[in-house]
Amino acid sequence: MIEISSLTFDYPGHRALDGVTLTVPTGSVTALVGPNGAGKTTLMRCIAGLETPLEGRIAVAGMDVIEQPREVHRIMGYLSDFFGLYQELSVARCLEYAAAAQGLPEADIPAAIERTAQRLDLDDRLRQPAGSLSRGLRQRVAIGQAIIHQPRVLLLDEPASGLDPEARSGLAALFRQLQADGMTLLVSSHILAELDEYSTHMLALRDGRILENRELKPAHLTETQRTLHLDLAHADARLPQWLQGYAQVALQRADAAHAEFDFEGDLPAQAALLKALVHEGFAVSSLGEYRENLQQSYLRSVAAHLEKQQ
Amino acid sequence: MMNPELRRNLWLSFSTHRLIAMPALLGLVFLATAFMDQGEKAAANLYVAAVSMFVFIVWLWGARNANAAIIDEFRDKTWDQQRMSALDPWTMTWGKLFGATSFNWYGGAMCLAVIAASGFAAGKPDVLANLITLCAAGVMLHAALIALNLHIGQFESRLIQRGGMGWLAIILVFMFMPAFTYGTDKPIHWWGMEIGRALFWMDTALLFAASATFAAWRVVSNALQVRTLPWAWPAFACLLSLYLAGFIHDESRPPSLWLAGLFVAVAMTYAALFTESNNLLRWRKLRLLQERGDLRGWLEYLPMWPTTLALSFLFAFMTLLTAPDLHTGYDRMGMLQPQHAITLALMLLRDACVLLFFALAPNSKRTLGAAMLYLLVLNMLLPFLAGVTGLDALRYFFLPFEATADPWNSVLVMTVHTAIAIGLVNWRLRNTGPA
Repeated sequence: MIEISSLTFDYPGHRALDGVTLTVPTGSVTALVGPNGAGKTTLMRCIAGLETPLEGRIAVAGMDVIEQPREVHRIMGYLSDFFGLYQELSVARCLEYAAAAQGLPEADIPAAIERTAQRLDLDDRLRQPAGSLSRGLRQRVAIGQAIIHQPRVLLLDEPASGLDPEARSGLAALFRQLQADGMTLLVSSHILAELDEYSTHMLALRDGRILENRELKPAHLTETQRTLHLDLAHADARLPQWLQGYAQVALQRADAAHAEFDFEGDLPAQAALLKALVHEGFAVSSLGEYRENLQQSYLRSVAAHLEKQQ
Repeated sequence: MMNPELRRNLWLSFSTHRLIAMPALLGLVFLATAFMDQGEKAAANLYVAAVSMFVFIVWLWGARNANAAIIDEFRDKTWDQQRMSALDPWTMTWGKLFGATSFNWYGGAMCLAVIAASGFAAGKPDVLANLITLCAAGVMLHAALIALNLHIGQFESRLIQRGGMGWLAIILVFMFMPAFTYGTDKPIHWWGMEIGRALFWMDTALLFAASATFAAWRVVSNALQVRTLPWAWPAFACLLSLYLAGFIHDESRPPSLWLAGLFVAVAMTYAALFTESNNLLRWRKLRLLQERGDLRGWLEYLPMWPTTLALSFLFAFMTLLTAPDLHTGYDRMGMLQPQHAITLALMLLRDACVLLFFALAPNSKRTLGAAMLYLLVLNMLLPFLAGVTGLDALRYFFLPFEATADPWNSVLVMTVHTAIAIGLVNWRLRNTGPA
């Protein structure tokens, strides 16, 4: 959905992006992570066509952002880190303006407002002036403005900053829902645990360069494979051998009490494995999907980068 | 479908209270004026009151709102949302131009009705022309402020914090007030033609309203990342030259167009030079585009000032070539020699290089302030000090405009200045790292 090649962007005395080349797959939720000054906001603003890079090409859905910025904006939503709202307008009018400015037909606007308000739980706030809302509600209105035209690509720069835990949870649910609707999301945040809830991909930046850009699911696994983690309440020396003999299991690590393995199969197949383990007499205390969290993944990338530098 | 930008501005500008208050207040003002003199002067008084109210409501108050149309977007951080919209530049431009000032035009329309009725009743001449002048001057003021604020605000955020270019409205209002000064109904002589005063002001206001609206559209286009080729700025310089040259046109004098053009191009180059981004990144991008042979891209990224700088040289050479007598023609007029036109263009190039020298520094801060300071020292303080201490040769070296000296010497001296300034810029470019 987003293809970037050799993107270079300079600020006076500082190179913010240095030959960045990457692809963001359609329908993914990519967590854009990195320390302050890594170039995350600059990258987002370049993709949004708000900044002109020194060099490089950015294509969104096949359209060149530098050559056709207005066309790209029709299929894109962007929430800036420092967004603003028209304080004196009501929430409904903020959304109506955003919908009309994004070129939605007049007849479709009321339905779009209703749909967006429902999604963001703003139904009962539509008549309130945007300036009278709390930080969290203002954030939701700003997201509403960015998604009201149902863009194919949504860029969110620190969307959860200043939100309380409940609001963050709601935001995570919204992003999952938007992804399920086929939207491609690029989300930057300092709070990796929050991104972990909904991200499918990680794009790590450091000093304007890409540290890592990959799917969070381990690369060696196919669509039907998952990594499972097994714990026993009582150690049983037969466990590694028994697992090796199970057809759908590819063992990664195992001892008498724990095992980590790739599993080929759906949830009923996983239930069948559990049943077999119990039937075999293993005291299973837990069996579940294992996924390296974003924090671990990011820190591993940074460590590998630093090691390479030394 | 209504222009979304216009509609948003209408939401912000109108309320039931305001809809009622404006006609009520204007009605009271006009009623009071009518009661002041119920005799034969009542209509004339009403006319003056209505014109004054229009100037206040549309020109001044409207200018304030047009100024805020851009300032508020930057200040309230809604400008990115606007830039991300799918609105085309023209829709955005006229939506802001007439939306931000819609309440002023609401009051202005009532004033216009009173001006028309009282003007015809009082037997005032040229009422229709005056109505058009009033409206066109209002549009010109509003469009000019939108264009200027957006142009400068894109690279000089401090201006936004200080409230933008609103002060400019006062100057423009004073420029157009003579159109409504009565008792001086003398026709205006322009390019040898005699044109009625009201008609001339109407044409002037329409010309500049169209130019300002066009400028606003061009600046909005650039802000929305719709790139344009840099022909409009030099074209406006030519138009302005043609307009101004009409006032000084005299068959017995050297061609007025080239002289007027030179001064207009010089003034516009300085104006653009100090209001545009000239940092290293821009010039690095231009060099990259040049290396790629991307002429269109190069022209799209080129600042405006080099275009009028080139025009200055063109006008300077035309002044030199068309001067009737190189040695005596200008002396008779008590002016400097025509060669000084070349000196002036070279001086402009030198000053542009001085600004670039500061702007291209890797961590340039307060570029404009530093450049202005050094240019003031170079162009004013040093010649003044050399003059008061009797060092005339040194004074001539700093400011070589002397009617009695050989004018070609002035060209030579300014060529030396310019060569040094170009050398400094080259040195800066060679000593600046990759980022």
